[in-house]
Amino acid sequence: MAVIETKGLTKHYGTGRFPPRHRHETVRALHELTVSVEEGEIFGFLGPNGAGKTTMIRLLLGLIHPTSGSARVLGHDIVDGSIAIRAATGYLPGGIVLYDTLTGEQMLDYLGRLYGRPTSLRADVADRLEMSARTLKRPVRDYSRGMRQKIGIIQALQHDPDLAILDEPTEGLDPLMQRAFYDLLDERRKAGRTCFFSSHVLSEVERLCDRVAIIRAGEMVALSNVPELLARRKRHVEMRLAGEPPALHGVTGVTNIVVRPGHLSCELEGDVRPFLAAIYSAAITDLTIEPARLEEAFLEYYADEDAAELAAAAHLVGAAQ
Amino acid sequence: MSATVFRHVLRQQRMRLLVVVAALTGWGTLMPIVYATFGVQMQDIVRQFPALQQFMRFGGGDLFTLSGSIAVGYIHPIAIALLAVFAIAFPLSGVAGERQRGTLEIVLARPVSRRSYYVTLLVAAILFIGLSVAATLIGTVIAAAAVNVLDQLKLENMTLLWLNGVLLYFAIAAIAFAASVSFDRMGPAAGVALAIVLVAYTLEIIGSLWPDAEWLQPYSLFHYLQPDLVLREGLQLFDTALLLVVGGAAVIYALIVFPRRDLAAPT
Repeated sequence: MAVIETKGLTKHYGTGRFPPRHRHETVRALHELTVSVEEGEIFGFLGPNGAGKTTMIRLLLGLIHPTSGSARVLGHDIVDGSIAIRAATGYLPGGIVLYDTLTGEQMLDYLGRLYGRPTSLRADVADRLEMSARTLKRPVRDYSRGMRQKIGIIQALQHDPDLAILDEPTEGLDPLMQRAFYDLLDERRKAGRTCFFSSHVLSEVERLCDRVAIIRAGEMVALSNVPELLARRKRHVEMRLAGEPPALHGVTGVTNIVVRPGHLSCELEGDVRPFLAAIYSAAITDLTIEPARLEEAFLEYYADEDAAELAAAAHLVGAAQ
Repeated sequence: MSATVFRHVLRQQRMRLLVVVAALTGWGTLMPIVYATFGVQMQDIVRQFPALQQFMRFGGGDLFTLSGSIAVGYIHPIAIALLAVFAIAFPLSGVAGERQRGTLEIVLARPVSRRSYYVTLLVAAILFIGLSVAATLIGTVIAAAAVNVLDQLKLENMTLLWLNGVLLYFAIAAIAFAASVSFDRMGPAAGVALAIVLVAYTLEIIGSLWPDAEWLQPYSLFHYLQPDLVLREGLQLFDTALLLVVGGAAVIYALIVFPRRDLAAPT
């Protein structure tokens, strides 16, 4: 069952202004996004700042209204059923702001009561994130950035939501707490809960997510599961040689072969078996095959100049309309 | 209406409410004391200077009668500033302020509709205004009894004066809320709300002090709170209806506009 399903979801800012602005000021934040997130999935939404990640999240929660297209979350339309969506969703906004005059506990009580559901997971999540009862009794104004982020995570998960929508969830967390948070998400996945989160920390997306969508200037440029995305990546190979280099020209998946005395480097893509067969009898003293990283896959969509120009051009809709 | 949001607002505002209620109770005690202490003595002096007589009509009041003194107290900038805490500042901070701080989105990401959130704040504002206006009148009654002028007051009309006062500040609060739901930041919302209130106040004061400008007064919301007249003759139906219509129109505007607005990420 699809927990999130969007069809041609589009959001332009700057339309319907009074007085009307110049047409070039219409910003295309999201353009015809069609994506489906399945139950029990951890779905990563990737993109640099301003790509449209937060716009997507706010559309799903009914905080902003789509210009065109449609979306359903947990079976409810985002325009007509946003209350029902929010009742079953936990949300962590990026750079969460809390009421400074309240204690952490009061803050969690208030936000929990607004759901009208028992906060059955609060104690467990707080414990995992090392937010003791004593700490929760301190005013939020005394909290560090990391502690505020922990409160943000607890408030998003404390009522055991069917869907957690998390915007940059590990921002401000130290590595230990990041790991605790990853474990939490893993457990939620095992419990069949769905998580949709945006991030630009590619290592955590790679570690956590079942599938990722990469968004650029409001348009989705890739949607794939992580292993597939990585499998398509070229791995960099370095080898030290005690004799003649192996004959790699023409071997399937091997490109960019550079041979220097006692050394060979190349790029390897796809199935590794032809490559291994080709180097089997070579006198190799050392071999390094760098694992494919999501970062490289991500950068590919942003690195080339054409893409950058496209992104800049697509940012402003005006001329085309 | 959300009971949880309402309780949260009460908790957040309780200290402010106590301070304003205490200050307005104190302010309310001043009018009968000023009237009883200086009113009669000043009357003889003022009669010698006709120009001063018009000045004594400040805001439609009259320092030489108890009801007129109370009217001056009602339209005095100090009373208005104190009541503005809940009629202007609270509506502005409740929506535009929360929006600007970023706290509005964590509430509206819960199953709380924007209409419900707005109505909750409006009810809270009316409650705070009602208590504040009541505090002023209670102070006045206590002081009038203390200086032995209570017999000059029609106590049954005090309730009507309370109602008239609440309606005026309800209308102002509704306008402030309408501005608040229309903007993402406090500055523009405060600018619009304060401009409307200051212009209205200026029109009323100029009209009350300068006979040639009396025609300006009907364009001011403050003109439709006439404590002197209400205390003497009872509630003025037209004034009541007009304040209700203005407040109601602002409420309807907010109920339509707020749910339709985009709440983009706070900057």
